[in-house]
Amino acid sequence: MLEDELNVSTRQRDGVAIIDLIGDVTTFAEEKINEAYRQVTSEGARHVLLNFRQNDYINSAGIAILIGIVTEVNRHNQKLAFSGLSQHFQKIFRMVGLAQYADIYQDEDEALQGLMPTAT
Amino acid sequence: MIMSHSTQIHISFPSVLGYEKVARDAVASFAKFVGFDSHRLEDIKTALGEACINAIEHGNLLNADLRVHVLCTYEHNRFLVKVFDQGLKDYNKATKPISIEEKVAGLGTLRGMGLMIITELADESAFFDESDGSSCLQLTWYCDLASKT
Repeated sequence: MLEDELNVSTRQRDGVAIIDLIGDVTTFAEEKINEAYRQVTSEGARHVLLNFRQNDYINSAGIAILIGIVTEVNRHNQKLAFSGLSQHFQKIFRMVGLAQYADIYQDEDEALQGLMPTAT
Repeated sequence: MIMSHSTQIHISFPSVLGYEKVARDAVASFAKFVGFDSHRLEDIKTALGEACINAIEHGNLLNADLRVHVLCTYEHNRFLVKVFDQGLKDYNKATKPISIEEKVAGLGTLRGMGLMIITELADESAFFDESDGSSCLQLTWYCDLASKT
């Protein structure tokens, strides 16, 4: 009831691996997000976009999961970006320092344009 | 609606992760009722959620039989939220938080951003040890101040 409120799916667009995160990003999201990241990485992704939608609740445990993704992205020499965050969560992401590791875009189209010059 | 007289609500929930959402939604409804704008409501919801997680995980050590109490008072443009737990584990207030650079470098836990988020989003925040051994994290917002950017 309280824990399963995130849907995670993956897709490809313009050479970018997109991980859609629909719902709350909390401690209960860890397995789903990490599994999606492992999947796109095993498929050879060089550019990864975490596309947030309908995220009323992202907490520090969810941010910890994303910091873990940043760590893996650095290890695999990938490029990471975020899109779809509300103004509030954009502020939070900048506050905790995530913005220094991944560009933050308003939406998916803007993110793909931003990633495009370096996308293969 | 801005009210000049004292108004108070009290919420109590078990120390189970996820219940903090119930508290944040209830307190946000109350904050909207007394006149906070949407930006401040988001700040209140996020900071309160972190305070409740701290109480569940640290103060009550995830013991579902122990309850977290949230007391919320609005008076004279001051929105005061007190989050009480049993104080079973100190929150290491004296310990320097690990930076994100250190976390990414693998030099510490990935968790531990909650207190920093609380400090940034609340107008004031402070821990208190109660005489009965419980702990209180007190958060304050002023209705006439703007959201921090």
